[in-house]
Amino acid sequence: MKNGEKGKLPSIKRRGKKRRSKKADKMSKLESSVDEQTPLFNNLSDNEDTFRSIYKDSSDVIFRPFYIGEQVKAILIYIEGLSNIEEIDDSVLSPLIKSSMGENYFIDTLIHKKVSTSSVKEVKTFSDSIKEISSGNPVILVDQQNSGFALGLSKWEKRSVDEPKAEMVVRGPREGFVETIGVNTSLIRRRIRSPKLKMKSMQAGEYTKTRINLAYVEGIVDETVLEEAINRIKRIDVDGVVDSGVLEEFIEDNPNSPFPQVIATERPDNVTASLLEGRVAVLVDGSPFVLVVPVTFYSLMQASEDYYGRYLIATSIRWLRYLFLLISLFLPSLYVALLTFHQEMVPTTLLFSIAASRAQVPFPALVEALMMEITFEALREAGLRLPKQVGSAVSIVGALVIGEAAVSAGIVSAPMVIVVALTGVASFTIARYSASAAVRMLRFPMILLAGTLGLLGIIMGIIVIIIHMATLRSFGQPYLSPMAPMKWSGMKDVLLRAPWWKFNTRPHYSGNYNKYRQSDNQKPSPIRGEE
Amino acid sequence: MDWIALTKKWLLIPSVSFLILLLAGCWDRVEINDLAIVVGIGLHKTDDDLIELSMQMVNPSSMISGQGGSGGQQGNGQLTTVEKAVGKTFYDARSKLQEKISRKLFSGQNRVVFISEKMAEKGIRKHIDFLARHPKPRLRSFVFVTKESPAEFFKVMPNLEASSAETARELASLKIGMSVEAKDLLQMTSDESDNAALPVLEIEEEPPNTYGLRVKGTAVFKNGKMAGQLDDSVTRGLLWIRNEIENASVTIKPEDAKNYISFNIFEENTQLIPSIKNGNWKMTVKINSVDDAVENETKLNLINPDTVNRLEKQLEKRINKRIRKALKLVQKDMQSDILGFGEAFHRHYPDKWAKVKDNWNEKFSEITVEIKSDVKIKRPGRSASPPAVPEDKVINE
Amino acid sequence: MIEKGKISTLQMAILIYPTIIATAILLVPAITGEQARQDMWMSPIWASAAGFLSAFIAIQLNKRFPEQTIIQYSETIAGKFLGKVIGFVFIFFLAHICGVILREYGEFVKGNFLDTTPMIVILGSIAFVCALAVRGGLEVIARSAQIFVPVVTVLFIFVLLLLSPELNPANMLPVFEKGLMPSLRGAVVPAGWYLEFFMISFLLPFLRDRKKAVKWSAVTVIAVLITMVITNMVTLFVFGSLTPKFTYPVMEAARYISIAEFIQHMESVVMAIWVGGIFVKISVFFYAAVLSTAQWLNLSDYRPLVFPIALIVTVLGHWSASNLQELEIFLSETFPFYSFIFLAVIPVILLLAAAIRGKRSNKSSN
Repeated sequence: MKNGEKGKLPSIKRRGKKRRSKKADKMSKLESSVDEQTPLFNNLSDNEDTFRSIYKDSSDVIFRPFYIGEQVKAILIYIEGLSNIEEIDDSVLSPLIKSSMGENYFIDTLIHKKVSTSSVKEVKTFSDSIKEISSGNPVILVDQQNSGFALGLSKWEKRSVDEPKAEMVVRGPREGFVETIGVNTSLIRRRIRSPKLKMKSMQAGEYTKTRINLAYVEGIVDETVLEEAINRIKRIDVDGVVDSGVLEEFIEDNPNSPFPQVIATERPDNVTASLLEGRVAVLVDGSPFVLVVPVTFYSLMQASEDYYGRYLIATSIRWLRYLFLLISLFLPSLYVALLTFHQEMVPTTLLFSIAASRAQVPFPALVEALMMEITFEALREAGLRLPKQVGSAVSIVGALVIGEAAVSAGIVSAPMVIVVALTGVASFTIARYSASAAVRMLRFPMILLAGTLGLLGIIMGIIVIIIHMATLRSFGQPYLSPMAPMKWSGMKDVLLRAPWWKFNTRPHYSGNYNKYRQSDNQKPSPIRGEE
Repeated sequence: MDWIALTKKWLLIPSVSFLILLLAGCWDRVEINDLAIVVGIGLHKTDDDLIELSMQMVNPSSMISGQGGSGGQQGNGQLTTVEKAVGKTFYDARSKLQEKISRKLFSGQNRVVFISEKMAEKGIRKHIDFLARHPKPRLRSFVFVTKESPAEFFKVMPNLEASSAETARELASLKIGMSVEAKDLLQMTSDESDNAALPVLEIEEEPPNTYGLRVKGTAVFKNGKMAGQLDDSVTRGLLWIRNEIENASVTIKPEDAKNYISFNIFEENTQLIPSIKNGNWKMTVKINSVDDAVENETKLNLINPDTVNRLEKQLEKRINKRIRKALKLVQKDMQSDILGFGEAFHRHYPDKWAKVKDNWNEKFSEITVEIKSDVKIKRPGRSASPPAVPEDKVINE
Repeated sequence: MIEKGKISTLQMAILIYPTIIATAILLVPAITGEQARQDMWMSPIWASAAGFLSAFIAIQLNKRFPEQTIIQYSETIAGKFLGKVIGFVFIFFLAHICGVILREYGEFVKGNFLDTTPMIVILGSIAFVCALAVRGGLEVIARSAQIFVPVVTVLFIFVLLLLSPELNPANMLPVFEKGLMPSLRGAVVPAGWYLEFFMISFLLPFLRDRKKAVKWSAVTVIAVLITMVITNMVTLFVFGSLTPKFTYPVMEAARYISIAEFIQHMESVVMAIWVGGIFVKISVFFYAAVLSTAQWLNLSDYRPLVFPIALIVTVLGHWSASNLQELEIFLSETFPFYSFIFLAVIPVILLLAAAIRGKRSNKSSN
């Protein structure tokens, strides 16, 4: 069942419904009296009983009964650790308890007069109240009132804004997203101060009730993409969205592709730039990775630092990255193909030295390549998962055992080690981790193809990969654009990193969009005034 | 249901295709460890008119000891192995040779083709077919004529290079003598004039017991058969006409001087200008060359324009003499157009050429040749006046 | 309509260019060289007339029937029965040519790279890959072509540049040794390739901006012309009189490249060029065959036909010739007339008939 859940998009809804109906039965037994939309009762004790039955066996939910102005019975419900207790004491409980009450009072005026929290929201149903309580906002229920008040007093422990660990830069902002959605939205809002920046709030997850924010800039965003994103998120019906990665798999176009069709980034500056290009960002509470759609293959090759450095250097670095993309995908397979099929293409002296170093090796080149690549992947994985203190041990074992001992024992040849090492290094030059993972995975079928059909196999593999990429779309955007279909205006951010004063138009994501993003002729030149 | 579909997609299809690949994966795959890398191919005729094929192969495992061993020690194993076999055709002999060798013969890295004099005399045309037909050998292999059986040449262990084939290749790429690639040979024999020239290689014995290879002269082919050989100095003349002089030096003894001056030719250009006037076929060989003095044993000051002029004249004469000598041999004695005259006439006078092309070699011997050489000494080298001669003894004129 | 995707005229040009060039650059120099000798570089120029002609016919027919392919409008023009017959014959022609191209590819790969790999595997693998592309639809073929064609062109230019030290322009002389005839005779075979320009008639109905079709078709013919002339010249300059003696002169030329002892054996690059180009070529023909079949059978989707037809085409390729010699003879003797009948005669007759009978597609039917 777990497997099935991650299947194709269109079938999710159907399957979800099937399962939901079963669960609904169970739930109805538990909360027989309360439905989702049941309004709060007039009687406080009824309300309290219901809440207590809902929060049965939840020791962290605190019920605090008290009297407003020593007369009216009320109860405060909050969750320990999610709300600011000092504030509850100082600005809610003590003013309410100490308030004196005239004959003709209205509870809501009283609350607005006495409670000095920044946000007070009226809640009318149980489900609304539960939502508020579980997001840390204490709810006050008052006797003889069929509505309660949710106070914006949520406060919980959160990680402070830190340097993004997965996307390092030498130059550029060092802030990274954290697990709290409120902080993340603020990081974006701080960068785009125009009110055109919109944050559409959504929710997903039956149990997690995860907050999701869709950020976009009105007037720039492609409406169709936005609509599509909203629809796709609405369709999700699962127990929980633990991380944005879960959401990603539900909203992407083709989950059966190794290539990511959504960018997950930790960097607010990255998201800001994407929003200004007319894309949509999806923020998921609990995940420091913000999703950005739509995506093209080339945008996976762009690092945020490209835009902060000098454009000539950034362009050459980008080309270096393309080169190493090819190396990480094809070097081992080329090595196998050349060594086992096309020996005449290797320069003579090189062939001799490879032949000499391979003389003792017991394995065929294909097996050797597969073996070493898998070992490298294992080392990489181990290095990631291990606690930091042990990490160095792995690298020592990797370098010494695989690098030195295996070669001197004649189990693998030295050129193969060089090839694997170079491939490994190359795969980490790719700006996006998810893209580099795709490339690393595709390397293996490529090696197999090279081992069966030689160079021809490699070319076949390339063709299949290109066909696959040509078929892919990310929220309506062809994956290979602007290369295919060709858009010259988009090429200046693909083949080059054009200087900023040349980026006059936005990358073209679909039909309706706001074309110009800056005025012409901004190339700096000292004698400009004389013209 | 969906689960099954997914399993089908992600497990069944890849594993089936993987199995197919594995089953299939043994058609053309050859591990490098199973290859005998041929670096030199030698063709020789036996007395009963069969082909004796010899091949020089590298021995990679001995290269390890050569590389990893301390210093110049080359290990016990020889760097190369030479095998030979006899057969009716090249490929027949090759199959026989394969029977003796535990590894698959691989000629994709072949560098040189040696043809023995004996075979050259009997005709090479039918034997060089494999150079263009078999998918592996390179068109860039250099072709040589060897004095004795090529196997003897392959057995020579040179001092600087790893194999004698490599030595021959380096010699050819230095372009001291003729250097002919398989493509050039095929082109020469397929041309209508059909005359070819190949460099001759011989073993040089230098006591005690060390052998080397050297290029010595040129073998001239007529209708695919070796018609004769030219010695080194005539070969130089030939190279001048064929516009193939490179890395050459000329040493002359200036008039009224006892010692020599050497010049390095670093720019050379030869043009063949054919002309037919009143049925009189004439070829103008126009040579432009720029030289540098590299050694001056005399007391002449090379910065003096008059001296330089005289030396230039002398150099021109010298070149003319060389060319004349080569012409006499090639044109009159051998009557074999290895100079490219035929092509030149063909290109400029296609009609008249068509009439004589069947007995071109006779016509060739009748052509009058005019040589216009122009030598420029551009620089006297790093020192203008002889540095080791006292100032007052330098002849300035 | 069966095809839902739309392509731009640029994409059409990028699809058609390799459709002509891919096999032409390898086979044409030797075949024209046989006839035209040192005038072989002129032959493609004469032959380009065929290209302009068939592009013109295709565009004229398309003007009358903007949303239809030849399979559909032949029924309108020639009547139901005769139209179906023409359609069927045309489908057979497309499938057969597709098989022949597959076979050319197979012979090349087997002869130069994988001598012991079974032919059926070589053919099957490329057919499978092309079938994947065709299944993705016209847009996918066009986009893949847009990735491959620039790369292939750059590689080709790269090979030519590397060959520049080996060029000997004197090989071109004497020009017109035997008059104009040899170069004209040499033009017959390339004309067969140029006639394949008629394949645009299968792409024209799906163009987004049909107005530019004329301009881009002309540009493509000229691009093909330039490429062929340059290819022929370069092989002639490198090999001279030896050119027609090789089966694949460009391949030999690339194999001959050696710069600084390290940049050598560019045949792998030539293979990449060839396979990349031929992938587009086969895909275009294969797409045309599949689309035609679906239209002929009045199906609503061509996707289910893709793999069965791929199988048929592979088998056709396997059986189309018993060996390379037969294939060469087919290409140099039969093929020009074969394609002349299907890509020029039949369309011209259809066009004339349509013009005389004043047939046009009625817009409401689409």
